[in-house]
Formats: sequence, C-alpha cells, structure tokens
Amino acid sequence: MVCAMQETIVAVAEQEPEPAAEGAALGTLVRKLVIQVDDLEREAGRDVPHAPRRVVVAGVVANPWVGRRVDDLSREVEEILEPLAPALIDRLLRHIGGAAEVRAFGKGALVGVGGEVEHGAALIHTPHLGDRFRGAVGGTSIIAFGEVRAEPGAALSIPMWHTREAATRSHYQSAEIRISDAPRADEIVIAIAASSGPRPFARIGDRRTDPSARTRKDRP
Amino acid sequence: MNVRRLVTIAEEVHAESGRPLQAPVSVGFAAAVIANPWAGRGFVSDLGPEIETVAPELAALLVPRLLDALPGPVQAYGKGGVVGIDGDIEHASGLLHTLQFGNPFRDAVSGTTLLPSVEKRAPAGATFDVPLKHITDMTIRSHHQSLEVRIPDAPHPDEILIGIAGATGGRPHARLAEFGTDPV
Repeated sequence: MVCAMQETIVAVAEQEPEPAAEGAALGTLVRKLVIQVDDLEREAGRDVPHAPRRVVVAGVVANPWVGRRVDDLSREVEEILEPLAPALIDRLLRHIGGAAEVRAFGKGALVGVGGEVEHGAALIHTPHLGDRFRGAVGGTSIIAFGEVRAEPGAALSIPMWHTREAATRSHYQSAEIRISDAPRADEIVIAIAASSGPRPFARIGDRRTDPSARTRKDRP
Repeated sequence: MNVRRLVTIAEEVHAESGRPLQAPVSVGFAAAVIANPWAGRGFVSDLGPEIETVAPELAALLVPRLLDALPGPVQAYGKGGVVGIDGDIEHASGLLHTLQFGNPFRDAVSGTTLLPSVEKRAPAGATFDVPLKHITDMTIRSHHQSLEVRIPDAPHPDEILIGIAGATGGRPHARLAEFGTDPV
C-alpha cells in the first residue's frame, strides 16, 4: 500500500508547473479560482457502481458594472471571459479526467449584493462561456444554469443535465459550491460544473415510462 | 474502511487586496467521509485496533488526492476532522493524531514539523477552519493560514470526516515581521 502510494506521489511531483503567463494574466482579473472534486462512493449503504465524479470550478471576478447603469454589457463580458472561460474549462477537464468523462454539465453565477442578477446572467448566457464549454466536452444540449444575488458565503446549487440528451432524467443532479468570502458586494462568482455519470441508483423512469398525470386523475 | 464520499477543495489565489500576486498560491483540502468504525458500540476503551487499520488507509487515500489538486510543492500543511453527532471527538482525534496518519503525509512532502489540526463534533454541513503551518519551521509567520471547509451532507451522525490540507505558498502579500523581531 505504502509503495503504491509513493509511486503516485513521485508521478505528481514531476508534473509540469502551471504556465506562469496564465497566472500573471489572470491576476489582473480573477481574485481566486475554487476547484471542488466530489466522488460519491456509497449511497444508502451500498457501493455506487462507477461512482460519479462531480467537479465544480468557480472564478471570483470584480463586477465591472457596479454602481452605474450600463445598457450594453457585451464589451466587459468578452474582456472577462476571454481569459476566464479557458481557465475554468481547463481545470474542470483536468480534474474530471478529460472531455470524454463529462456526461452532464451546468453553470451558474453568484452576484454580490451591489450588482444586478443581469450582470451574472450576462457572464454565463453568452457564447464566450457556453459555446466554449459545450464545444470542449462535445455537448449539444443547452447548459443547465442557476443565478442568484447573495452575500459572501452563500451556497450555489448548480443544476446539471446530460450534455446531449437534456431530458434524460437519470442525469438530473446538482453540485453545491460555497466560497466563504465571495462574492463581495462588488464581485461576481462564475462557475461551471460537470458530472461523469448519473445520480447514484437513479430509478425514477423517464418521460416515456411515466403514467400520464391526466389519465391517473381522471381514473374512476 | 467504509468510504462514502471523497471531496477535494482547492483555492487558487491570483490577487488579494486588488493587487495581483506574482505567482498564484493554491490551498487545498482532501477529505474522506467514512463510517465511524466505533459507531453504536458505546464507550470503547481501546481505540487502537481500528486506528491501526483505518489511519494508514486514510493517509494512502488522501495524500495522492491532495497532491493531485495542488499545482506545486507543498510548503504549508495541516489536518482536520469532524465527528458526526453520535460519535466521540476522541474518534476523530484517534484517526488524526497517530503517526500512521501523519507520517505518510509528512514524508510525501518532506515535512518535519507537527501538523496543526482541528477537531470538532458537528452535524452535516458544519463549517470548520483547517489551520496550516510551514512544513519545516513552525515559526515562519508568512505560512500561518487557514482554509474554511464545508461538505453539505457530511458527516452523518455515524460518520467521520477526515482530511489533510496543503498550501503551495504563504499568505497572499504576507508582510508581518519575522518571529523574534517583534518589539517587546
């Protein structure tokens, strides 16, 4: 056991360090990135076959629109997401084990209380984030999303669904992220999430197997 | 060892106080949520047998996961555990404060100092702050730091959450006087 572990550690230690250029560029825009990796090994007292891995990557950025009325948000959206979207996607793919592992996806925004929910919406409902993320994982579905305005430390539940079959109920799931000191009033948290599988022991059928609600109600 | 959930959290700090860092600093925590091996047994006098079995397995599981979450070598470290409300705080302490847990972590990062630690008993979703200090010199003030952790659905009353923390550097823009140089 100990030998196997030491081999793993040596392999990790030899990894290439982060490219310095990205770090310097991100520092002018991003206060911090938060990465969360969650492997659900057991549920309801049973081992989960092919335990799904859920990864969330979030970035904390300054809200460029705080305190002023801005009608056209597009310039800042591009300025922020040009470096941020690849940084989020790179980390998500690295931690989930590559694009082929992504079966469900979602995105979300937490807007600090000095901003508008529209500011968060602008940063997640845009090709600069959505098309990049979808393209990186070979998806075709619209990406599930959530956006709220909240105090620092608020929890954001990011909904996810299947990357190609959005109505596949077994893949409806959520990942929660919470950052103790973000978003400040003049900040926005932008997050993307992915899961490598369905909910553990998914067993609620789907649209084709549901008894019709109307039929049941009308039943004598 | 009965593992329900493995969670890793890592923060990559790029700027603080509006100023970019010269290089980003990462702080991470790798946690396992396990069934409390002493659950439902009342007061157990000798925790040794389960400690000897579970603690090395926990270390073997968590050390590679923490290192995988950090982009550079570990300069500061710590550990922590939360016991579900039906357990004893001694249960978390037993798994944390044993060389069978600490030494594999210390050896993997070439650390020599004690691992600062936090233990508490709490319901699922409790927050706890994991302290970290420098891996070879506990007086290096720039590396005193903490990471807040919370796992929404853990620990259940009969579970224990155990984890290890590492940082690739000190606090962002650390600028305190060195230990021993304070005016008295």
